Amino acid sequence: MKRLIFLLAALLSACALTPPAAQGPLGAGEIASAHAARAALALGLSTQTDVRKALGEAIVVDFESGYEVWVYRERPVKKAERPPLELVLLFDPSGMLANARVR
Amino acid sequence: MHRSLTAFIAAALCGAHPHAAAADEEAVTVSALRNPVDKSYRRMLSGAELFAQRRGELAPAAALRFKLLPRRPGTRMDDIELELVGDSFATPLPVAHDGTFELPADAAALKERASVRPNRRAGSMTWRAEVRTPGLPADVRRLGDLRLECEVGMRAGLISNYRPVLFRWLDERLADSPEYCRRAVPRYLFFADRALWSVTLVAGTRREVLSVDLLYGGASRDPDWKADLPYCDCEVLMDRAFFLPLGDRSWPDDALVHFEYMDDTP
Repeated sequence: MKRLIFLLAALLSACALTPPAAQGPLGAGEIASAHAARAALALGLSTQTDVRKALGEAIVVDFESGYEVWVYRERPVKKAERPPLELVLLFDPSGMLANARVR
Repeated sequence: MHRSLTAFIAAALCGAHPHAAAADEEAVTVSALRNPVDKSYRRMLSGAELFAQRRGELAPAAALRFKLLPRRPGTRMDDIELELVGDSFATPLPVAHDGTFELPADAAALKERASVRPNRRAGSMTWRAEVRTPGLPADVRRLGDLRLECEVGMRAGLISNYRPVLFRWLDERLADSPEYCRRAVPRYLFFADRALWSVTLVAGTRREVLSVDLLYGGASRDPDWKADLPYCDCEVLMDRAFFLPLGDRSWPDDALVHFEYMDDTP
């Protein structure tokens, strides 16, 4: 059931993850909305495969311990009042999403 | 001169004690490891002197220790034997379980340009100053302590093996000076006790989670970070490494630095 809810959330948020057509396709590690992307993920349920499928390729910082930190950033906007938001994901050595934050 | 300097440093280093062997005693034969890790006692003592000068402003309640950290994969950090080694003596320095030690004030060591030398090969370990105000929780540090830690570390020459040309994400002008620590965000690497998930600065009601750009040696901004890793003394500490906005004086010295770790339960 939890898995189904997660998949529905991912589908519903897909539109929020799609960039405006005028800006062109997103590059590696870029997302349209960090908050929408975060809402599409579930700690303890989302796998690396799920996240890659939902958000595309991340900037990956992987460690000898088996933990991996994945970073997505919103595309910078000219004359923006604040720096682009970043979505940071932590995967445990089993590849499961263990923590996430938007900053 | 040595006497006055020694007295000064002795006052700065609570609990510091002179080595037992006098310089005029029979020379000691040191069974030295070939090509050991080695730091200049004189420079480290200069760092301790800076600590004494700056403590009142930055970290009035803090104490100074120095710390040994692993630099290469597979380096054993248990049972480290550390010595203060001059031409005519070799005095053991006790190392605590956390790798920290006190630097004694020692006029003979200054005169003989002694070295601080663990029984490990060169390049296998790195060093940091550790400035800690007592009474804080284990996952909290004080910003003023860390500002002073950077200044002492730079003065004492503790940073090992940066190669700026190859190590792009570190500042190429990494100066060998405490002034470097007063830049907005100096590329001085701190190491947490465990693998980091996040670092948050807190001052009163102001609270700011640091960007991931300041964690893991800035690796998330450098696609080639792994290739450069052998030239960084963070090589086996990447998951514990972070920078701080030390020069941003909108954060007071009493600001707290809170750590969350990878193995914490969210």
